[in-house]
Amino acid sequence: MNIIETHNLTKTYAGFTAVSDLNLHIPKGTVYGFLGPNGAGKSTTMKMFLGLTKPTAGDFVIDGKRYPKDRIQILTEVGSFIETPAFYGNLTGEENLDIVRRILCLPKSAVDDALKLVGLTQWKKRLAGKYSLGMKQRLGLASALIGRPPILILDEPTNGLDPVGIHEIRTLIRSLPDRFDCTVLVSSHLLTEIELTADNVGILNRGRLLFEGTLEELKQRAEENGYPADKLEDTFLTMIEEDNMQRGGVQ
Amino acid sequence: MNNISEYKKIRRTGILPGCLAGGILAALVPVLELAVRWERYADISRPPLQIILEADWQMMAMLNMLLVTTIACMMYHTEYADNAIRRIITLPVREEEVFFKKTLLLSVMCMSVLIIEALSLTFCTLRWFGGENGAYVKFYADSFKAPYMEFVKDLFQNFGYFFCMLLPAAAVSLLFASACRNMWICLGIDVVCIFMATMIPMKNFVLSIFPFALPFRILEGGKAVASLSSLAAAAVEILLVFAAEIIFLKVRRSLA
Repeated sequence: MNIIETHNLTKTYAGFTAVSDLNLHIPKGTVYGFLGPNGAGKSTTMKMFLGLTKPTAGDFVIDGKRYPKDRIQILTEVGSFIETPAFYGNLTGEENLDIVRRILCLPKSAVDDALKLVGLTQWKKRLAGKYSLGMKQRLGLASALIGRPPILILDEPTNGLDPVGIHEIRTLIRSLPDRFDCTVLVSSHLLTEIELTADNVGILNRGRLLFEGTLEELKQRAEENGYPADKLEDTFLTMIEEDNMQRGGVQ
Repeated sequence: MNNISEYKKIRRTGILPGCLAGGILAALVPVLELAVRWERYADISRPPLQIILEADWQMMAMLNMLLVTTIACMMYHTEYADNAIRRIITLPVREEEVFFKKTLLLSVMCMSVLIIEALSLTFCTLRWFGGENGAYVKFYADSFKAPYMEFVKDLFQNFGYFFCMLLPAAAVSLLFASACRNMWICLGIDVVCIFMATMIPMKNFVLSIFPFALPFRILEGGKAVASLSSLAAAAVEILLVFAAEIIFLKVRRSLA
């Protein structure tokens, strides 16, 4: 059963098509890796799911709820982290999460729970404006995870983290479906990260979906098309390169 | 959304101490004026509140407006500075609701400032007009009720009116602040509006109900009834600002 489905989702900005006829199928209880080079349309798609950007055409359904009619209900079920961390710099990490907790009508314990999940408990009394980039990233993640929502939309969640932090967050994301029975849509341009965390992948290039399926299916497709199939990185690069050639020779 | 959230968001921004300091500064205007040149007002045969307000309210209103517009800009600056608003609008809360809650909080702050000023005016009345032959005794002592009752009624009437006159400017400032990510732009617009308002002739009713001009008005002849038209104008303006904010947010969302 798919928890997120898009139907010919399109977003155009003044003649530039950021997302074109996108048909995504994200199964419930899985980690879905959204792969693509910079500017492929990953963030735009995620922003559309959260109502931050209005689709030009097409529509999507999240857990049976349709945008824009059920926008508020969709947002109740989705925890999100888009692009850069968003927070109140004049408040501490704990106070930032408390604002989110109040909006979501969660118990007070939800704040400590979220801080613990991302390993920020030690710095919860420090002003968020004084956090390092990695700590801000963790705060953003805690804000997405608070209340353990059934759907998580994470846009490049490991940006700015050190290798230990990347490993911790990767392990956390991988464990979320089993621990909290949730579905995770995670975007990245770091192939190893997706390879290690995702059950399913969607490869996007210049707004178009080139592939959707499991990693096994991707390998199979690569072999069929004569792409290198040993490493995800090689498969991905060849796929993108060929698509760019087909669409006007941009490399 | 929980009502307290908007209050929590302004912690450590200096808004609350600033609000208190601004209120005290405006409250000092009549105190200093009367301390320095009390003789000028000693022989005027009018209610003491009228005397003080006619002499000082323009300056006090100007300080109030500068304070309120600055607070409005800072309230939205906390949302935009580190992109917090982007997180808020991905939560199940309407952006319009954030605006209404901020308006409510700013109204409470306006009320606090006016209370400080009302206390200052009470002090001035009793200190400089409360003597044996002072205006306080002359105008309130022969009233049917206790003199202080009449005075307090007058005070409430005046400051209730000032509060109502200040609200449209506060709401418009918040509207500008919600529209501008850069705090200096909305603050600049507000300051221009305030100075424009000082040039508006009060005799022309249509011009005088410009939101930033309303706070400069005082009760005509000290009676609330005479100012019903400006109260109605203020109410309509507040409703228009709310409608404008809803439309603005809808348009901004559809263009995003």
